[in-house]
Amino acid sequence: MIAIAILVVILFLIAGLLYTIQRYMGRMINEKEPGAIEPSFYQRKIKPVMAEWNPTIVTLVVIGLLVVVLGAWGYKYGMQEIGVQQGYAPDQPINYSHAMHAGTLKIDCQYCHSTASYSRHASIPSANTCMNCHKGVQLRDRYNGEVSPEIQKIYNAVGFDGQNGTYIEGYEQKPIKWVRIHNLPDLAYFNHSQHVAVGKVECQTCHGPIQEMEKVYQFSTLQMGWCINCHRERGVDVENNNYYEELHKDLKADGKTWISVAENGGLECAKCHY
Amino acid sequence: MGNSNQYWKGLEEIEGTLASPQGEFGEALPLDEVFSGSDTLSPNRRDFLKYFGFSVSAVALAACNKAPVKYAIPYVEKPENVTPGVPLYYATNCGVYGEGFPILAKVREGRPIKLDGNDQSILSKGGLSAIGQASILSLYDTHRLSNPVVKGAETENWADVDKAVTSALTSANDKGIKLVTRNVSSKLMQQAIDEFKGKYSNTEHIVFDPISYDGMLRANSSSFGKAVIPNYHFDKADVVVSFGADFLGTWVSPTRFSADYAAKRKVSSENSEMSRHYQIESLMSLTGTNADYRYPMSESKHGALLANLLRELGGAVSAPAMDLPGNSLKKIASDLKAARGKSIVISGSNDANVQTIVNAINSLLGNYGSTIDLNSSLNIAAGSDAGVDKLVADLKAGSAGAVVFVGVNPVYHHKDGAALAEGLKKIPTVISTSMVLDETTQYAGYVCPDNHFLESWDVFEPMAGYYTFSQPVISNVFNTRQAALSLRAWAGAELAGEQPAMDMAKALVEGMGANWNQCIHDGYYQSATASSEAPSFSGDVSAAVSALGKSADGPELVLYQKVGVLDGTWSLNPWCHELPDPVTKVSYDNYVTVAMGDAEEVFNLKNGDFVKVTTANGEIDKLPVLIQPGQARGTVGIALGYGRSLANMEDNDLVELGKNAYHLVGRKNGSASYVVGGVSLEKVGKGYEFAQTQTHWSIEGRDTVREATLAEYKANPKVRNEHKPHIVSLWDEYDYSKGHHWGMAIDLNACTGCGSCVVSCSIENNVPVVGRDEIRRRREMHWIRIDRYYSFNLTESAEINGTAHEKGEGLTKEKEINAYTKSGKYDHYENVSVMHVPVMCQHCDHAPCETVCPVLATTHSSEGLNQMTYNRCIGTKYCGNNCPYKVRRFNWFRYNLNSKFNYHFNSELGRMVLNPDVTVRSRGVMEKCSFCVQNIQMAKLQAKRENRTMKDGDVTTACQKACPTNAIVFGDRNDPNSRISKLFRDDRAYKMLEETDVQPSVVYMTQIRNKETETSANTSHS
Repeated sequence: MIAIAILVVILFLIAGLLYTIQRYMGRMINEKEPGAIEPSFYQRKIKPVMAEWNPTIVTLVVIGLLVVVLGAWGYKYGMQEIGVQQGYAPDQPINYSHAMHAGTLKIDCQYCHSTASYSRHASIPSANTCMNCHKGVQLRDRYNGEVSPEIQKIYNAVGFDGQNGTYIEGYEQKPIKWVRIHNLPDLAYFNHSQHVAVGKVECQTCHGPIQEMEKVYQFSTLQMGWCINCHRERGVDVENNNYYEELHKDLKADGKTWISVAENGGLECAKCHY
Repeated sequence: MGNSNQYWKGLEEIEGTLASPQGEFGEALPLDEVFSGSDTLSPNRRDFLKYFGFSVSAVALAACNKAPVKYAIPYVEKPENVTPGVPLYYATNCGVYGEGFPILAKVREGRPIKLDGNDQSILSKGGLSAIGQASILSLYDTHRLSNPVVKGAETENWADVDKAVTSALTSANDKGIKLVTRNVSSKLMQQAIDEFKGKYSNTEHIVFDPISYDGMLRANSSSFGKAVIPNYHFDKADVVVSFGADFLGTWVSPTRFSADYAAKRKVSSENSEMSRHYQIESLMSLTGTNADYRYPMSESKHGALLANLLRELGGAVSAPAMDLPGNSLKKIASDLKAARGKSIVISGSNDANVQTIVNAINSLLGNYGSTIDLNSSLNIAAGSDAGVDKLVADLKAGSAGAVVFVGVNPVYHHKDGAALAEGLKKIPTVISTSMVLDETTQYAGYVCPDNHFLESWDVFEPMAGYYTFSQPVISNVFNTRQAALSLRAWAGAELAGEQPAMDMAKALVEGMGANWNQCIHDGYYQSATASSEAPSFSGDVSAAVSALGKSADGPELVLYQKVGVLDGTWSLNPWCHELPDPVTKVSYDNYVTVAMGDAEEVFNLKNGDFVKVTTANGEIDKLPVLIQPGQARGTVGIALGYGRSLANMEDNDLVELGKNAYHLVGRKNGSASYVVGGVSLEKVGKGYEFAQTQTHWSIEGRDTVREATLAEYKANPKVRNEHKPHIVSLWDEYDYSKGHHWGMAIDLNACTGCGSCVVSCSIENNVPVVGRDEIRRRREMHWIRIDRYYSFNLTESAEINGTAHEKGEGLTKEKEINAYTKSGKYDHYENVSVMHVPVMCQHCDHAPCETVCPVLATTHSSEGLNQMTYNRCIGTKYCGNNCPYKVRRFNWFRYNLNSKFNYHFNSELGRMVLNPDVTVRSRGVMEKCSFCVQNIQMAKLQAKRENRTMKDGDVTTACQKACPTNAIVFGDRNDPNSRISKLFRDDRAYKMLEETDVQPSVVYMTQIRNKETETSANTSHS
């Protein structure tokens, strides 16, 4: 990006230099033999018109255009790119495939991310959750009778002997250092259980087609505008939750059946910022 | 409307010397230089290049769009009950009180982040004192020893340490071993001590209490044959007469006493009776500020006055006649007679003779068995001062083979600490189990650090027949071991199993016939209820009265404890010192408190002068003077618990903080005496600026506090609140009748001003500690403050500036007060009455802060909350200026990344205590009380998940939970049956500055004092 910009600048400089040389040479020829060179289109048509223009206004217009263009670019960059990690797909310590587990095998999301329905965090499962299946599932048929190297990484974490199918006594367990993909700033409070258990939002609404991802990437922007849009569009489940008893009654009295999260205070600052 | 009293917060207001704070305009703008054209200011070429280079690189850096890589590291094997993001609560004990105090510890992801009282236990009743709240930080204290130290060398292996200690002890046994502990309320410790004594036959066990209750123990022994501290039931007492006992702040068991006391003070339409509280004291104590009648009087006269009271009550005793101003002793006696069996008379004196007279009075009044219980005694102190003095003499003489200090620090706490330290050098083996390298431990060859109380198993018996249980809420942060286990190891016991302390505790519980799981779950267990039989009094009152001795000549020094610091054991804690003292409102210092009259007439001193304090017991070379309204003339006060020093102090304001005053403690009638006669003050300097918050946030004489007498209240429950102001509204109305509408009520009758709420709020909401200098600049960050107001009452009629004033009348005009003072009358400075008013963000429904914010960083929610959005704030401070309550705080620094604020925010370990549900605010933003919105949101979510409506009590705020007296109630005003909506409708409820129509969501309940109406200050002058 920067290299291209430098190249463009250099090319412009060369073009300007060439143009200046050409102009000087043309002038010199004109002085010796007036009329030898026919006036160019620019000299005939544009120059007289431009001579009429007020140089101050022209300068201001040019500066104004620059401000608008650069400003628009800066706005877009500042508002939509700084700190926005949409598409972030870092390498993980274990080459875990959601497409395989959630897609092909159709394992429920909350089998592993079990705390999503009652905690702030959806949580990355502890290695012993993996072991529920991978104590047996070793994919030896694909790796010439050896334990799959990726599954072996789980065994290395928990201290499991794949050959004998036993846990190693006195093993110093090594936690797996997963790279966190979805990072909210400290100033925003997000609670999974509010959205999963109460709001009944599908995991895919925010996390995208996770069941198709070989390697997980950040699907959404996680920007505040994105949060707010959803709060404007989605309704509150007033019918099936007794917490909203009063609200439901009031709605019915007003002849309404639906209220958006936003109308129910879902855009108020201290719902997420404290 | 309101009161006619002139309320004031500090002497500066009365004298008109209130200056602008240091630092606010500390440096004048260099206008002259700018306009004179001098070139000293204009930057030269090199500067320009520097700034240019810096800006370019800063902009380039800021433009980088690379977020740091963050990791999410799950457990390898998740413990079954631990869920990331969901707190767990464990019932355990707070170790600040050596005897055990039942608490609940909130634990997030394995780290404790908050302590609260255990509301089911009769010993805690849900409250926890300021220092108890703050003690959680000592777990994450970077000063803690990370390994045992043997002869100056750290070692990781406890087995090696045990071997070395055992052989040293074995060889020392012939010369004798001194085992020094605090009062032993721990059953584990008792068992360990027994085993230790079994192995080392020549062991002498000495109990050393930092603050002695020796006089009381001896008096109860001679009066009733029981050397115990009785249990007091203030909730059953109609009349309380305290002679210098600060039972709401520092005396015996203040947190529970506060709860019981307040239960008898709350009045409502259903119950309009309250107790009457007389306080006779020398210094202005927290308890004194809450009294209905307070009489300033030198401590040394208390004994004789008590003898007179005994005679008034019909006791046969001869004593020189003495009375209180206005023959008040007769009134006290008649009140006490009318409340036979329903009264309490106590004294804070440590003189056995004084306590014997108190015992005689209570016995005569039939209080034993009803309000005072000697059978369910409190196990808070057992030390004998004579025994401790003998120990110190022995150690000074070097006549012991070994000394083991378990949880005590006598070099600091004992009056002969310096000499003791010299003696320790002569003892071959000195062992200490301190967690830190404190004053005593610095002389120990073997340092075997104890666990923090949150890392320990234990069984306490803080009250006879009542057991409380400790369980660890975190695994050991450092390589430490519980002191009881260390003693057992040295006694040769096999410490088998993973948790030998748990096995000990379990065996003890099973021995009691109790259910282990139930005990650990509840945190307490009561075996059989003790009989309430009253013992007969067999003390010798006449001997006690004649042995009282006469008061010393000259002014007397009273050594007292401060609510946030207590005896100083746990005071190396920034939260304790950042908390302004409830009475003086000074943070970070100790000082010499002097009465106004004495300062001007006797000592010729001004506020902030430095003095050298000289007594017969010793001297303090330099301490600042603080003039304290309400203090008795002829008395000066110095707080204990200051001047702590560790071998490895971090560089912050806690280093060399105040002066240690323990060496001034005297001896009287065989017990430690905290009253020392014949003190002299010599001025050695002047101009000390206290970090005193009292006149910050002045309310400019507006009507913010209301009080009335009980008789007035009975006649008219709406007293002081009759007149509703005429309100003109600038704002549009919003309909809050749907959904929740949060509100808070504060009962000024119950609030004692203890400051628990302030510390609790700081912990819950990650409020930074800013240090002394910043407080001098009025930059304290506390989201809740407790305003303390004084008002005057004349003790006799007087003519001031040509106007006649009646006795008991409140002086209302500053000019009059000035003139009265100039006439040499200082009585009114002694006879101030005090009010405490907690003030936090009032969450105004018509909030003035919101209208002036240029970026909408502070807005209102549909639930009536005034929301502060830090990430939107640009720091104009308009909101703070426009707030009538002055509750908004500005972040001047990034306290968590600034080495100038080297408190817990700046260390990896200290940050463990932060609440992960609350943002750590950055520099340049406003912040304020949020009504603990994180708890509101959590409680709502809980209800939604459980598919139910919310109930009253689901949401609690941090201040409410900490309050020992339940003065603070929070809830939904739209729920007609909630406590809060009832309180909002109560006759006593008033809104502060209601006339401004900001519609606050906090109501205060008018303070009612149980005074006779004819001496009331309020009615006579309006």
